[in-house]
Amino acid sequence: MKRFIRNNGILIVLIALLLAILLFVVSAVLGGTANPLRNLFGVITTPLRSVSSTFADWTEGLYSEAYEREDLLDEISRLQGELSDMREQVQEGALASAENERLRNLLGLREKRRDFTFESATVTERSRSNWSATFTLSKGAGMDIAAGDCVVDAYGNLVGIVSEVGENWSTVSTVVDANFQMGGYLTRTAGAAVLEGDFSLMGEGKLRLSYLPEDTALMVGDQILTSNQSDLYPSGLVVGYIESLQSDISGTTQYAIVVPESNLEQLQQVFVITDFDLVE
Amino acid sequence: MTTSDFLIKWIAYLVALIPVYVLEACVLCHLPVFGVIPILLPLAAVALAMLEGPAAGAGFGLIVGLLCDAAYPGVSGAWTVGLSLLGALTGYLGQYRLSQNMLSSFLCAFVSLVLIDLLRILPRLAGGTPLRSMLLVAVPEILWSVVFIFPIYGLFLWVYRRVPKRTVL
Repeated sequence: MKRFIRNNGILIVLIALLLAILLFVVSAVLGGTANPLRNLFGVITTPLRSVSSTFADWTEGLYSEAYEREDLLDEISRLQGELSDMREQVQEGALASAENERLRNLLGLREKRRDFTFESATVTERSRSNWSATFTLSKGAGMDIAAGDCVVDAYGNLVGIVSEVGENWSTVSTVVDANFQMGGYLTRTAGAAVLEGDFSLMGEGKLRLSYLPEDTALMVGDQILTSNQSDLYPSGLVVGYIESLQSDISGTTQYAIVVPESNLEQLQQVFVITDFDLVE
Repeated sequence: MTTSDFLIKWIAYLVALIPVYVLEACVLCHLPVFGVIPILLPLAAVALAMLEGPAAGAGFGLIVGLLCDAAYPGVSGAWTVGLSLLGALTGYLGQYRLSQNMLSSFLCAFVSLVLIDLLRILPRLAGGTPLRSMLLVAVPEILWSVVFIFPIYGLFLWVYRRVPKRTVL
């Protein structure tokens, strides 16, 4: 019997089972912090990931330069037009802000504030699994990044939530990941709903807006922000806009398909909100 | 087999694992085909188990499983025990039930890929995720990974022919 167990690797399988249980328990105890095995692996492979990511970005840049030059020129002229429109809007916004401040003073309201502490990080690796939509970032617990921190792009659009933290790396579950869930705020109708990743939409880079408020006529293009009904995440971050409205199989419940505002495919640098203070 | 032979052999197998990991993590990860990335590391465990038998297969499966647990997102420990078991089973089949050739290795690797994705699908199915949407991920993933079965088996066969044969574990 001993010989059978030894020759057929059963002993090794039992050792593997014990190791697996140990890993599972340690991971469960540590919560959002990576277990020692993942942490060590992450620390060792961070330089390799950075190099491969840099090389991939460089080759992608070469490809873009060679084959997408015309498209880029068109994009530049379109953006220049958008920039001039934005400048006008900024001027109008400045006047509105001044008026808003005067009115707040008049009514004795506290000044509306959004204080964020950002930590910039580079995307070193995109999801290694077809079953999740995650990024690996170049910074981790050593830079005060913690599980549950929101991650935004350069325009302040929500990219995702930090799901696991190692010493010098962290994993972000993007807004389209099947496990993503967060409160959403409908800007136009001032209603609340639930933003959630959906497995069937993950591949298309979209997410679902469920539990829509009753008697609210939503429209395609409506903007969705993070909700202000939770202290866990900062409110007012742009998540995306409604692309279409759908009904479930029974036809009784409606949900919306949301396209993220952030271009998740092209992200290279992101900002982790390590601390925030909001006064609405 | 001397201790030195034993060490040389296993170091050679571990070195052979490096190009497989680099190909998956640093090359194919950046070049998804129709949005799909293949899974290569389990194929390495199956290939070696087919060549070396159950005990060595379980051992190498354990090592590759630990690597997968460290590298892939998901339930911690699942890859470690899963690949160790898969290595032992493949090794057993290769040694006692099938002939140790490329076709048998292909068959075992294909079944392993199906089993791996089945284990990913079942908990999600219980959680209410539609089967169709998961099959849309699983089927292309398996098909794209299948392409790499022969090259990975070839790599380990090449190493196997150059290292001392008897495994002492």
